[in-house]
Amino acid sequence: MSSNPDANGRRTRSRAWAIALSGAIALGLAGCASPPEEPVDLLAPTEEQMKIRNLQTRTFDISDRQAAIRGVIQALQDLGFIIERANEPLGMVTGARFAEPRYFDVVGVTVTVRPVGDSRMTVRANAIFNNEPITDPEVYRNFFATLERSLFIGRN
Amino acid sequence: MRPRVIGVALVLTSSLLLAGCSTGPKTTSKDFFVLTPESAANKSMQTRQFETRDADELLSASAAVLQDLGFQVTESDRSLGFLRAAKERSAREYGQEWTRGLVAFFSTILGALGGANTMMLMPIDLQQQINASLVAHPIPDDGDGARNEVRIVFYRLVWKGDGQSGDSYIPPGEQKMEMIRDARLYQSFFARLGKAVFLEAEKI
Repeated sequence: MSSNPDANGRRTRSRAWAIALSGAIALGLAGCASPPEEPVDLLAPTEEQMKIRNLQTRTFDISDRQAAIRGVIQALQDLGFIIERANEPLGMVTGARFAEPRYFDVVGVTVTVRPVGDSRMTVRANAIFNNEPITDPEVYRNFFATLERSLFIGRN
Repeated sequence: MRPRVIGVALVLTSSLLLAGCSTGPKTTSKDFFVLTPESAANKSMQTRQFETRDADELLSASAAVLQDLGFQVTESDRSLGFLRAAKERSAREYGQEWTRGLVAFFSTILGALGGANTMMLMPIDLQQQINASLVAHPIPDDGDGARNEVRIVFYRLVWKGDGQSGDSYIPPGEQKMEMIRDARLYQSFFARLGKAVFLEAEKI
C-alpha cells in the first residue's frame, strides 16, 4: 500500500532535478532563440552622415590658428555658451548652454579647428540637444554667421 | 458624495497648477545659435579690459581671485587663457522650507476632507554647485597686444531633495541649471581682479 519512504524521497529529489534541468535548458534556449541582428554597416558612412558633416563644416580664410580658436570661443560666449573645455594643441573647444527659460534642457557643442593648406582653417561644429544630435541646417548656419562676425568684423 | 466631489476638484486644480509649473515657453533649437538683444548687455556685464601686456599674469591673478572667492579650479588652458572653477554650497532656503511645510499641511487636510491621500511634499533645493568659466585674451586689433580682455560667466546647478505627491514618491536628484545674471557678482569679481593686478578695469 504505502510506498517505501526512502523511494518516495528519491522520486521527489529526481523530480526537483528534472525541473531545475529543464529550467536551465529553457533559459539556455532563450539565450539562443533571439540572436540580435548584426548590423553589417554599423560603422560605414551613410549618405545622411555626409550631409550632416557638410552642414557642420565650413572653411575660413584665416591663417592664424590660435586667432581662429579664440574667434570660436568668442562666438560661443556671445551666443551665451559656457566654455567647458578648451585645448589649444588639438584646436578643440567644448561649450554648453542652458535652454533657458526651461531649466532642465542643455545644448552642448564641440568645435574643432584644423588647418587646411597654409592660409585656411576648417571649422567643424557638432551640436547636441539633451543627448540628441541637432541636424537642423539653420542651426549651423546661424552659428557660422556669428563665427564669421567674431573672426572678421567683431574685432572692434 | 460631496466630499468626493471636493476631492476630485482639488486633485484637478492641483494637477493644473503643477502642469503650469512644468511647461515654460519652449525654446526651439533654432534659437540656440542666434544673438539676442540681451547678448550685448550680457557681454558688457561679463567683460572688462585691462591695460597690460602680461596675459599670463592676468590669468593667474584671475585664478587667485577665484580661489579667494572659495572656488576650486577644475579646468585650465594657458595658451587660450581659459579657466573653469567650481564651488559647492548648500542651497537650502527658509522660504522654500516654509512653503513645503504649508503645502504639506493644507494638502493633507484637504485630502482628508475629500477622502483621498493628496498629501504633497514638494521637493526643495538641497545642494548647489556654483561655476565660473573665464577666458582672458589679448585684443587682436591693438596690434602690439597692450590690452587684454577678461570675460567671465557665472552659472549654477541646483539639485533638489526628495518629495511625495499623494501615494507616489518623488525621488531626489532633480537638477536645475541657470545662469547667474546678478551684476553685483560680476562687479565684485572685477574689482578684486583689478586690485590683484594693480590695474584699473575698464568697461567695454
